[in-house]
Amino acid sequence: MPIVRALLNLRSLHWKIILLVSAACAAMALTVGVLVHESTLRRSMHEGAVKAVDQLDRARQEARRTGRPAPLADPAGLPDPLLRQVERHGQGTYYEDGPPAPVYWAAEQKDGQLYALRTDMTADLLTRQALDRHLWKYSLVTLAVVIPATALVMELPARRLRRVARTARRITAGDLQARTGMGRRGGDEITEIAATVDAMADSLRDRLAGEQRFTADVAHELRTPLMGLVTSAGLLPEGEATELVRDRVRVLRDLVEDLLEISRLDAGAERVEPRRVPLAELIEDSVARTGLPATVTATGAPVAETDPRRLDRIVTNLVVNAHRHGATPVEVDVSGLTITVRDHGPGFPPDLLAHGPQRFRTGAEQRGRGHGLGLTIAQGQAKVIGARLDFRNRPDDGGAVAEVRLPDGADDR
Amino acid sequence: MESLPRRLPDRKHMPDTSAVTVLLVEDDEVIRRSVALALERYGYRVTTAADGFDGLERFRDDRPDLLLLDVMLPGLDGIGLCRRIRETSTAPILMMSARGDSLDVVSGLEAGADDYVVKPVDTAVLVARIRSLLRRATFPPARPGTGRGTGTPDRLVFGDLAIDPAALEVYRDGEEVALAPTELRLLLEFAEHPGIVLDRQTLLRNVWDYGWDGDSRVVDLCVQRLRKKIGADRVETVRGFGYKLRR
Repeated sequence: MPIVRALLNLRSLHWKIILLVSAACAAMALTVGVLVHESTLRRSMHEGAVKAVDQLDRARQEARRTGRPAPLADPAGLPDPLLRQVERHGQGTYYEDGPPAPVYWAAEQKDGQLYALRTDMTADLLTRQALDRHLWKYSLVTLAVVIPATALVMELPARRLRRVARTARRITAGDLQARTGMGRRGGDEITEIAATVDAMADSLRDRLAGEQRFTADVAHELRTPLMGLVTSAGLLPEGEATELVRDRVRVLRDLVEDLLEISRLDAGAERVEPRRVPLAELIEDSVARTGLPATVTATGAPVAETDPRRLDRIVTNLVVNAHRHGATPVEVDVSGLTITVRDHGPGFPPDLLAHGPQRFRTGAEQRGRGHGLGLTIAQGQAKVIGARLDFRNRPDDGGAVAEVRLPDGADDR
Repeated sequence: MESLPRRLPDRKHMPDTSAVTVLLVEDDEVIRRSVALALERYGYRVTTAADGFDGLERFRDDRPDLLLLDVMLPGLDGIGLCRRIRETSTAPILMMSARGDSLDVVSGLEAGADDYVVKPVDTAVLVARIRSLLRRATFPPARPGTGRGTGTPDRLVFGDLAIDPAALEVYRDGEEVALAPTELRLLLEFAEHPGIVLDRQTLLRNVWDYGWDGDSRVVDLCVQRLRKKIGADRVETVRGFGYKLRR
């Protein structure tokens, strides 16, 4: 249930919109409530005053007619504001808000006599209180309906947004065929962002396809003459000159292959083919195939879910690099999902430690020859299989240490 | 044979290559001539063609034992040529791709090629691949009795499928199925371990003679081709591990 998950996340758009709608509703209910309360109070006061005066008049008239005692009042028993009004205007009304009960006073001074009467306002007060309670109750009922309704209505745009996010994630993960497929319907901002994501994926795919085509074409154009050269060089009669030619052909071939590999890595065209492989065995084979002396030690019998051909490229490049730029003995250690290649040379140059491997930069002069592509390839391939490749120098003898850490199979893709 | 390459393989362990004819179809003249020369030094008879249609003609006339096809050829390309040849022949086919990308490799293998190499390839490597292919085509390390299918010892039966490991013949519902050498070798590998999951690595090693550097796609695509011929559900995919033959 995505809606449940969205509601569990307090920072989700759901909550923000709900908060906004609730605030708007509350503000409206409060305004209406206060206005209604005020106007009811005003009307109630006005009516109370009229009623109080009316009753006073009626009591006086009745007293005159029937001879019953008139509602004379002792000024000491009257509230001060009322007395002041009477002093000023000869008459006055005053609301006294309990206790024991709310009353409306009406007083009049006539012929030297002070008449006053109070009218009970309890019923009025109760009516107003009931009205306030109703306002509260129905405001809350409205919120109780509006909030879930908002959450539900929000689910539609939220679902579309999630779809856009999911598509973008898939594109990031390398699935360039992924599209939101939301077309132009809706015509709102979400449609706009979806269309933008689709357009972005289109242009990304086109650019990638272009680069891949270019890489493939370059590969074809370079490898075809190279193949002729390699085979022809193999046909030459043995001799010193032949050795020179063959050596240069080998270098040229390695360089071309490395450059093609890097451009493939750059083009992002690489596909991982993970398999379950016994690490120690694989690394031993890789090291053996380089034809260079290196000791391989392994702890336990770790099994990794990885692309063996890419891991082979990484290890091969690291071992070759250790021999080319470092010094023997070269030691390869497999421990868990970590593979360490270390040599006893002068270590990696500070530039490499600081910025990572960079093509055609072999660092310090003493690091010897080479075009510096090997570590770039190792780094690129490590990225493709989701491994970490770190370079450091040993503090004791300064030897170079390259460490490949394979991802834990559990969170692997 | 006066100027042999430096590391000429030990003749004693070489198959008799005097009778082996390789048809090389390659449009680049230098590659065509140098590879032909190099293979001749290894004792193969080499006929060449410069384009696909010529290659098809040569194939019909010369009846080669093995084909070495470039993927990119003028006219009929290597993939089309491979498909045309597969219609009538099970001769081993090795593709050479200069681009080395998935498209070349997968289409070549889908068209029925047994294996592929990426240019530039050392003559020694090329010869090793050729030899591995020829072994598959001519072997019979027929191991009667080792199979655990039901039936007579020299005939393994799996459902509607019958394999005669000695005669290297496969029948489905009594009708003979034409399998390319790699497909046959793969099927025999499965037949030796019926019901047991074989991972791609093992298959690469036992059928294609590859180590870790092998491309597991050759296994997947060969299994696909095999399924088309012997029934899709005969070879089961065990996800994350490999394949097994259903008894």
